[in-house]
Amino acid sequence: MKITINNNIFEAQENDTVLDVARRNDIYIPTLCYHVKTGQTAKCRACVVDVEGMRGMQTSCNLKVRDGMNVHTDTKEVQEAQKMVVDLMLASGYHNCLACERSGTCELQDACYHLGIEKSTYKDAPTGRKDESSEFIVIDFDKCIKCGRCVNICNNRVVNEVLGFGYRGKETEIMCDDDVAMGLSTCVQCGECVQICPTGALTDKKSRGKGRDAQFEKVDTTCPYCGTGCQLTLHVDKAKNKVVRVTGRDEWPNNGMLCVKGRYGFEFHASPKRLQYPLIKKNGKHEQATWDEALDLITEKIKTTVGKYGPDVFSALGSGRITNENNYAIQKFTRAVVKTNNIDHCARTCHAPTVAGLAHAFGSGAATNSVDEILETDLIFVIGSNMTEAHPVVSYYVKQAVKNGSRMIVCDPRRVDIAHWANLYVPLKVGTDVPFLNGLINEIIQNNWHNEAFMKNNTENPEDLKEWIKEYPVEKASEICGVPVEQMKQVAKLLGTAEKVSVIYCLGITEHTTGTDNVKTIANLQMVLGHLGKRGCGVNPLRGQNNVQGACDMGALPNVYHNYISVKDEKTKEKIEKHWGVSGLSLKEGYKLPTMLHKATTGDTKILFCVGDNTVQTEPNMAKTIQEVKALEFLVVIDIFENATTDFADVILPDVCFNEDFGTYSNLDRRVHLLRKAVNPPGEAKPTWWIMNELGKRLGVDLKFTSAEATWEDMRATGTIMGGITYERIQHKGLQWPCPTVTHPGTPILHTNGKFTRGKGLFSHTQYRSQAEMPDKEYPFVLSTGRRLWHYHTGTQTRNSIGLENIFPEELLEISPVDAARMHIKSGDMVKATSRRGEITVKAWVTERSPEGVVWCTFHFREAHANILTNDAYDNVTETPEYKACAIRIEKVSEGVETVSRGFRQARP
Amino acid sequence: MKFSEEKLKKVNEIIARYPDGKQKSALIPILHIAQEENNGWLDVTTMDHVAIMLNILPIEVYEVATFYSMFNLKPVGKHVFEVCRTGPCMLNGSDDIIQYIKDKLGINEGETTSDGLFTLKPAECLGACGYAPMMQLGKHYREHLTKEKVDLIIDECRRNAAKNN
Repeated sequence: MKITINNNIFEAQENDTVLDVARRNDIYIPTLCYHVKTGQTAKCRACVVDVEGMRGMQTSCNLKVRDGMNVHTDTKEVQEAQKMVVDLMLASGYHNCLACERSGTCELQDACYHLGIEKSTYKDAPTGRKDESSEFIVIDFDKCIKCGRCVNICNNRVVNEVLGFGYRGKETEIMCDDDVAMGLSTCVQCGECVQICPTGALTDKKSRGKGRDAQFEKVDTTCPYCGTGCQLTLHVDKAKNKVVRVTGRDEWPNNGMLCVKGRYGFEFHASPKRLQYPLIKKNGKHEQATWDEALDLITEKIKTTVGKYGPDVFSALGSGRITNENNYAIQKFTRAVVKTNNIDHCARTCHAPTVAGLAHAFGSGAATNSVDEILETDLIFVIGSNMTEAHPVVSYYVKQAVKNGSRMIVCDPRRVDIAHWANLYVPLKVGTDVPFLNGLINEIIQNNWHNEAFMKNNTENPEDLKEWIKEYPVEKASEICGVPVEQMKQVAKLLGTAEKVSVIYCLGITEHTTGTDNVKTIANLQMVLGHLGKRGCGVNPLRGQNNVQGACDMGALPNVYHNYISVKDEKTKEKIEKHWGVSGLSLKEGYKLPTMLHKATTGDTKILFCVGDNTVQTEPNMAKTIQEVKALEFLVVIDIFENATTDFADVILPDVCFNEDFGTYSNLDRRVHLLRKAVNPPGEAKPTWWIMNELGKRLGVDLKFTSAEATWEDMRATGTIMGGITYERIQHKGLQWPCPTVTHPGTPILHTNGKFTRGKGLFSHTQYRSQAEMPDKEYPFVLSTGRRLWHYHTGTQTRNSIGLENIFPEELLEISPVDAARMHIKSGDMVKATSRRGEITVKAWVTERSPEGVVWCTFHFREAHANILTNDAYDNVTETPEYKACAIRIEKVSEGVETVSRGFRQARP
Repeated sequence: MKFSEEKLKKVNEIIARYPDGKQKSALIPILHIAQEENNGWLDVTTMDHVAIMLNILPIEVYEVATFYSMFNLKPVGKHVFEVCRTGPCMLNGSDDIIQYIKDKLGINEGETTSDGLFTLKPAECLGACGYAPMMQLGKHYREHLTKEKVDLIIDECRRNAAKNN
């Protein structure tokens, strides 16, 4: 259809608003409350226009076009009306741009500029009221125009449900919870309200006074925290070589949304504690060295040791934290130069069971569907995921879906915050996932809720499953997992009768001695229900680190090259040898991470390369890990900070971090994203690919790593599933593998039309095995571990950034009110937690999140570290440790003061 | 926070008036009952409890409770003097009445006496201009106020309090 605006005719679509058409054609109409994300509210009335045949002025943001409509935006009347609205808005507070953070990006300032308003005709009414109580966000009430964008976005998009409008008339204002200071409210500081605010009412505290927006260079890149792979824009002060602000990019997977770490945890890159020069241990002390000295020493050591004992005494660790390119570089170096397959990385400690379990069942060990599809699902089944803390942006989508009518079941021994939004919360006992899920499958089949056609046509062994699943009647399962029979039946019915089910799980499933079995059982469940290969369905593991998917994709694994090409296949070996220009690649599968370390004590591992892996703190049973690391003959650590592992290193090499080089990350839905260089690295820090290239040269192999892109291209030449992904194609938007050719559009959903990567799906017979260390009289508590919203891993990034540490300064051991009352422990008291492997002294936090008999803490704090306690018992397939369950005892040490624990939802009765 | 059995019956009756999913409509009458049950004011626990009953967000309750002046967000005395100060009452001397109450009880607007008996809360038009100046005390209007009448009302309240003790 066609409409006329200011006497010009424009093309318009059905459902367009007048504002849409005007914006498309560069006709300025001021808008203050309207935002594409928060929708039409027609509240501020700044967007009024005149439409022939309609009485009075019309708000263009919610006025649907009609064919032949004749609109005026530039008549004197319209301009006067718009001016009046904006003028009154100026008078509602105190809008002075002189020292305002938002100046230059302020939409109210823009409106005044376009309408020619120099100053308000009315009297200003400044109150001077500001809320500066929160760590990262400042509310300036005088600059608020009550547009309601922040209220909308807080409640409907990030669904943190904190902001609201309080009071009325002239006194109306934005309030947090029941009008408490933001710093004391349940606000989780995601900063989405700051990003959407049209004026200077909500601004970032960090960038205050650091400069005007226009003087910063904007660099689009990818978040270096969890596996969601959020797209962000760094606002960089080039002169100071520093990031000043971070904003979310309106691109998949995050659509502008970020969490507190992604938005405010960036200063680590400019920390004075960064490693800047190579260090060599001399007489027990690390001393600064030149790159030549350090690299020559490493070369010499490799030459002599490997020459004498063979290549298998060398082991290397890639990382889920570093780029694809750097992971590829370290695996190629290990395989092509040293000629061993002893390469592994930290997926071993988290999602290795996912890779193994899903590859076994489906043929591909990654998430089957995409993050955005969560919004289209009917039933979300969350098991073993504390997503509001570990994957906040994914949780926004889940909460949005629930808000829009999807149902959700949350299964977790702890009452994690996402349970607050669930239709059904199912507290099962720690480590009983297999019987729980098998009980559900049994109940589903008994009631004929399974998808018979899918099982018959698309799986290999449906009859076997139907037979052995009879071992798990729901009553028996209920007895093991502690969930009442009625509730199990309820869950089974919800699962069995839903139209689309998306299973989302995380480390609560994998970090058990039965990790791989747990994953296989989830795969069984979805194959029984037939919810695979369709939009809004699937098995969706939430990968923990920014690039742990990529580290797997790049072959930092002992059994596969990049793109999951098996090391045992003679033919592929030849192909890769030819491309790499080397010979004698090993056909023998390498050691897995725990084996590498274990073999140090027997003298079979002599050299270890750790790239971005704080091994000492991330492996279970720290005392044992330290012994193993000490037993190494030569330890090289490539990292950005000193940490517990560098203490033992013979050579430390300074790495670059996420914004100091180009590269790519693969996120949790297999999307490859680009990273861009924004600042220069500190001192002489170098990317891992450069280090590997230099070492290769010294050892007589040209690895062809001349830049990050060259490294990627080298991978791509033999890459199968990622062969079609080039830097050029992902400049603006990531691509999801499999993407075999440069014209392939990427694959958002795996296993479509019931065709699995391996052909037909495979059911696995899984059996209940109890956790390795059950609580007993001496050690009566089960300790489970995890991650907090405010911190990340061993804290190297979050504890070197400003603010996060202020919000959450120390470790807290979560304990149930029942246990606490029995032991006379209150929040803030110091307690000693002891396992068979060690002890820590830590502050207690009495919370209903913990069920009776279960306590919980994290591995973020070196001072009170969970891994001193955790059990080095492993999954028998993947050697993933059982971080989620070990036995400990607790004693009260002294009285103490409660730390404010903010941002947590109280359990609803 | 818990409703008494009798009040809970009433609350459920009110909720049942609205179709499924539209329970938010019952919010204002229920807040009134909740306020009665909670010594005349709404604390966060009470408001959260109402949110759960109606299956709405706590922030939605806070928004409504802060909007209407009939809801008290701070503890109030046993007797709340809601003295009208809108045009007609003002012209008939409500300012003096308010000032007299302030002086006599030693409290300011919005404050409560230390014995917890009285709260002074100026109100906007209560629709009784013909009887100006006036105030609302509990569920009753007190009209044609004079200083002497205020004295009598205060004495009456004190006597009642003493009797109930």
